[in-house]
Amino acid sequence: MLLKVQNLHKIYKSGTHALKGVSFEVEEGEFLVVIGLSGSGKSTLLRCVNRLIEPTSGLVEFNGKDITHIKGEELRKVKMQIGMVFQQFNLIKRKSVLSNVITGKLGSLKTFESIIEKYSDEVYNEAYKCLETVGISDKAQIRADALSGGQQQRVAIARSLMQNPKLLLADEPVASLDPATSNSVMQYFEKINKELGTTVICNLHFLSLVRRYATRVIALRAGEIIYEGAPRDIDENWFKTIYGEEAEEVEIR
Amino acid sequence: MSKQTAVEAQMKNIIEENKKREHKYGIFQAILLDIFLVFYSILVVQRAIYYKFVLDIRDIPFSWLQIFIIFFISAVIGTSWALTRTSLSCKLFGVAKDNKVTKWNSELFGWFLFDITFIAGWIVTKISIIGLFSSEGLNGAGRLFSALFHPQFGIFDDALFAMIETIYIALIATLISIPPTLLISFFTARNLMRENKLTFAVYYVLRIILNFIRSIEPLIWAIIFSVWVGIGPFAGMIALLVHSIASNAKLYSEAIESIEEGPVEAISATGANRVQVVWHAVVPQIVLPFLSFTIYRWDINVRMATVIGLVGGGGIGTMLMQYQGLARWREVGLIVLMIAIVVWIMDYVSAKIREAIY
Repeated sequence: MLLKVQNLHKIYKSGTHALKGVSFEVEEGEFLVVIGLSGSGKSTLLRCVNRLIEPTSGLVEFNGKDITHIKGEELRKVKMQIGMVFQQFNLIKRKSVLSNVITGKLGSLKTFESIIEKYSDEVYNEAYKCLETVGISDKAQIRADALSGGQQQRVAIARSLMQNPKLLLADEPVASLDPATSNSVMQYFEKINKELGTTVICNLHFLSLVRRYATRVIALRAGEIIYEGAPRDIDENWFKTIYGEEAEEVEIR
Repeated sequence: MSKQTAVEAQMKNIIEENKKREHKYGIFQAILLDIFLVFYSILVVQRAIYYKFVLDIRDIPFSWLQIFIIFFISAVIGTSWALTRTSLSCKLFGVAKDNKVTKWNSELFGWFLFDITFIAGWIVTKISIIGLFSSEGLNGAGRLFSALFHPQFGIFDDALFAMIETIYIALIATLISIPPTLLISFFTARNLMRENKLTFAVYYVLRIILNFIRSIEPLIWAIIFSVWVGIGPFAGMIALLVHSIASNAKLYSEAIESIEEGPVEAISATGANRVQVVWHAVVPQIVLPFLSFTIYRWDINVRMATVIGLVGGGGIGTMLMQYQGLARWREVGLIVLMIAIVVWIMDYVSAKIREAIY
């Protein structure tokens, strides 16, 4: 078992109770999708898993190790094994695609080496390989903000691949992309999941994408898991429970 | 199940503690502010309006006992007023009752404060329309202006040299200020320092020191340093340097505070250490604003260098002071003209460079 989350609670300083006793497990090689309305705790959940934030109580176990409250060097080692892709891509806009990808490697580089930005050929080769995986190695020297949204997200995926992650987290990776681009970006996640065997946990909004890519689905509502199971079992009724009575399914292909 | 209820209780505790703390804090602040406002009103009405204007006393009597009595009275009034939860301060700190009395209280008292402040200000400034338009005064001003508009070009060479000196003083002050400012600005950026208590303490202390330095005008720094290192360009340069560091550190650190958090989050999620996060996620976002602020500071320093010259900081300001002391207004006219032209050029050039950078 790669990841085990048990009775996880997160209460922010403002008093918001974002997660209320979430428990689930993730096996190696799974493509787990988390769905739910905005504010249902999806982002908080992912950030508790790679410990960008510290859970209030409960247990997060990664690769057989309790990482719920670890700090410092120990935490950095764990973060290096977990890649993350964000909705807003979060690239360094003024830097080239290549330097952006290399930042994924920072954890295993020496501080001095990374500051003078002299990297070994190995690192460059690896960066090009990661760019090839997402199909944009020809754009390596271009400034990151000169790319389209979909291309930027692929660079972000390449950056997380530089970490050789055991687990890849994606926080609504296609929410700011158009439908066609969304699909192509999701295909790269699928490719990474199937070819490299990387476990993926992904927050998504569109059910059509969920049905197509997920091997398993968790639905969150107000910080609690209200559904767990196979994507094809989410019918009209479940959809209304998850997204509220007013919701209607939008198709995206 | 017991674990579940324990967590919920914890959440409720946090929320309620927050509320209580806010409330307690709010009423405490409201009392202090009310005491101050009442104290201020009584003092202003008594001393500026009654003594100075109504009685027209030149030397206003002063006794600590009287001040103390006034303070005591206002402490009583202010505290009891705030405790009724209907005062202006209660409204400001959000602890007031929501009724008509509060509305009337705060509106009336607000206008009262504004009115007495304006009236007292008018009296203190000794505003005199007659003085502004007396024929004697107008004649003097006329003589001065006509001299200024007929500049004496005999001293052009000297003035040019002094002007160049001024520009260089400003340039050196700006250049030397860059490295220390860079270093300090990272330690005074809230978003980089808030994580643990030690760094936050460093942040806090540095901020206070910088605020203190910045609150002292370069003119006063020039006076201090002209005593310290002797009158001349060096004193002026150090004065500008000190002020540039304090002012730019604030601008720089504000630029750091307003960066996008996303890339920082993304880089730290890769397992990079703190130095690497700052270098790869923060620095690329602030290079341009820093450059722009620095060029702008040079522009400001040229202007300030002329003023600093007035107190012996060297350059064109010192020259201006000499000719003004001799009442040679036509030479003063030339110097003023040259300062105006150079400041205008600097303003234009720095604006153009800053535009080009972005």
